[in-house]
Amino acid sequence: MLTRLQLELAACAVVFVLGSLSILGALEHEVGWAADGPQAGYFPFRLGIILVVVSLAIAAQALMMGERRRQLVLSRESARRMLGFFLPLVAYVGIAQVLGLYIATALYLAFVLRTMGSHPWRTSIAVALAVPAVSWVLFEVWFTVPLLKGPVEVWLGLA
Amino acid sequence: MGNLDALLQGFAIALTFEHILLMILGVLLGILVGVLPGLGAPNGVTLLLPITFSMDPVSAIILLTSTYWGALFGGSTTSILFNIPGEPSSVATTFDGYPMARDGRASEALTFAFMSAGFGALLGVVVITLLSGFVTSFALKFGPAEYFAVYLLAFCSFIAFGSGSPLKTIVSIALGFGFATVGMDSVSGAMRLTFDFNDLIRGISFLVVVIGLFGIGEMLLTLEEGLEFKGADARLRPRAVLAAIRRLPRYWVTMLRGSAVGIWMGITPGGPTAASFMSYGLAKRMSKRGAHFGKGEPEGVIAPETADHSAGTAAMLPMLALGIPGSATAAVMLGGLMIWGLNPGPMLFVERADFVWGMIASMYVGNVVGVILVLATVPLFAAMLSVPFTIIGPIIVTVCIVGAWTVAGAPFDLWLAVVFGIAGWAMKKLEYPIAPLILAMVIGDRAEDAFRQSMIMSQGSITVLWSNALVGTISTLALLLLASPFVTAWITSMRARKALHAARE
Repeated sequence: MLTRLQLELAACAVVFVLGSLSILGALEHEVGWAADGPQAGYFPFRLGIILVVVSLAIAAQALMMGERRRQLVLSRESARRMLGFFLPLVAYVGIAQVLGLYIATALYLAFVLRTMGSHPWRTSIAVALAVPAVSWVLFEVWFTVPLLKGPVEVWLGLA
Repeated sequence: MGNLDALLQGFAIALTFEHILLMILGVLLGILVGVLPGLGAPNGVTLLLPITFSMDPVSAIILLTSTYWGALFGGSTTSILFNIPGEPSSVATTFDGYPMARDGRASEALTFAFMSAGFGALLGVVVITLLSGFVTSFALKFGPAEYFAVYLLAFCSFIAFGSGSPLKTIVSIALGFGFATVGMDSVSGAMRLTFDFNDLIRGISFLVVVIGLFGIGEMLLTLEEGLEFKGADARLRPRAVLAAIRRLPRYWVTMLRGSAVGIWMGITPGGPTAASFMSYGLAKRMSKRGAHFGKGEPEGVIAPETADHSAGTAAMLPMLALGIPGSATAAVMLGGLMIWGLNPGPMLFVERADFVWGMIASMYVGNVVGVILVLATVPLFAAMLSVPFTIIGPIIVTVCIVGAWTVAGAPFDLWLAVVFGIAGWAMKKLEYPIAPLILAMVIGDRAEDAFRQSMIMSQGSITVLWSNALVGTISTLALLLLASPFVTAWITSMRARKALHAARE
């Protein structure tokens, strides 16, 4: 589904874009060398150039790689498994932004254990309740590091 | 003998009740982290770092280093029992460790691994102890130019000694530096590369990046491969353990050679992974039983394990003395030192001798505690792996996400961790080295500051990097290392061309 060449080129494209961003961002400042040495934009500007040049070089190397370029780095089945892991993760982080980490963690665990792991509801819910509870004791009580909370905790008077 | 006095004082600091408890806790957490797939030593230490912010630095470093030792032991456990390296540095242990376990010699293999690892670690600490006095002697000669030259040396040695493509190492380093420049510039106060995003003003935390690259990235890899534990019997038979301990001295040559390789690779930033492979390779070539390697030969377990652990402990010396971490985990700890308000470098040995020697003393004790604890708890941790991965995996994910939040209390960091998770997967797939990126992020700002300060001192002249013998030697060495992979590539291609010509004629 995804060959080595495709992934190499995609990575080069990302590095190229990051390098260009670094150049653009650096140009908001002085990129030169004044009497007191290099200015604020000096390093980001040159790092950007290095990234752009090296990404092109790696892309060229990848294109000349011969047989290995067709090697499969991600089969359709693996991709499906990864997506099945990744989409819930994105939803988890998205929900956490709104409802806080405790609720999001519970929802995520219950959903993933039930659907991906096909564990019975009993196990799924037990784990989904236990992990936030342990986190609460660990972080709020022991280490006094408050975790991200949402409207539900406020409503319950816990935040 | 100043070192001995200092060390004894260090022991007085390390051997308090509270610190021993921290060591035990650290080692146990470390074994847990090492045993669980997807949670490695760098990631485990990263997750613990935020809770050490309020501790005093000596307690904090004892907790983190003990976690590291524990993770190294835990990593070897899964290598031997399940053929799954819990850490990249214990891959070489699977070659002979797993065949031994499969033949029902698990107790023996584990004992050899732990004892030789403990031996390597202790030898590493002894070397650190001996060299530390030497470090303080040139502490006062270090100025900004020397610091920059040393940072340059660290990066050039990554490019020279790295196993993969030097171009990819350069990308990793440049990306790390680039991420480090995001946020407020500490020299001019300008906002760099923030593109008017409020969330970027704080900069990008290397801790969040480690959680993404190592934690979530590792999880993606594991899932993609479809993980299954096909374990050997994890029960330890006391008689086999004792027999193995008695037979251990017979392998003293292998152990000494492994430790030497490990200490060298730990002090130069080659890292434990490279050390363990190199030690295994050397042992295979030099042993009389070399042909039996790969089929369950004790020497094949002892060689990588001694090297792995001695590199792990030896990496602490350049971290403390020069601010150059020899491994990814040491890079995270280095970041921790700066957060606790300590300034790594030779002056640390003068200004905070209590911290340095307390830590060195704790490394002696911590590794002994580690060997005992790991022998005692292996059956327990191995049993934990009978819990299906479909339960452990998601829990590890939540630990990573919660960990990303505790770094700075910023919701934006959760997204960063996810994005770096994909990046980590792709980097592993394409063999972009991750450790140089982390290293560049941790010391990027300091390297830039050191460079700009030395330029201010020299009024913009680059010759300051050759202004005296010390800095000149370091700078020259760095440039030679930087050139070496390209020169060797050129020589090989010339030879190949000559051979081709010769073949045609």
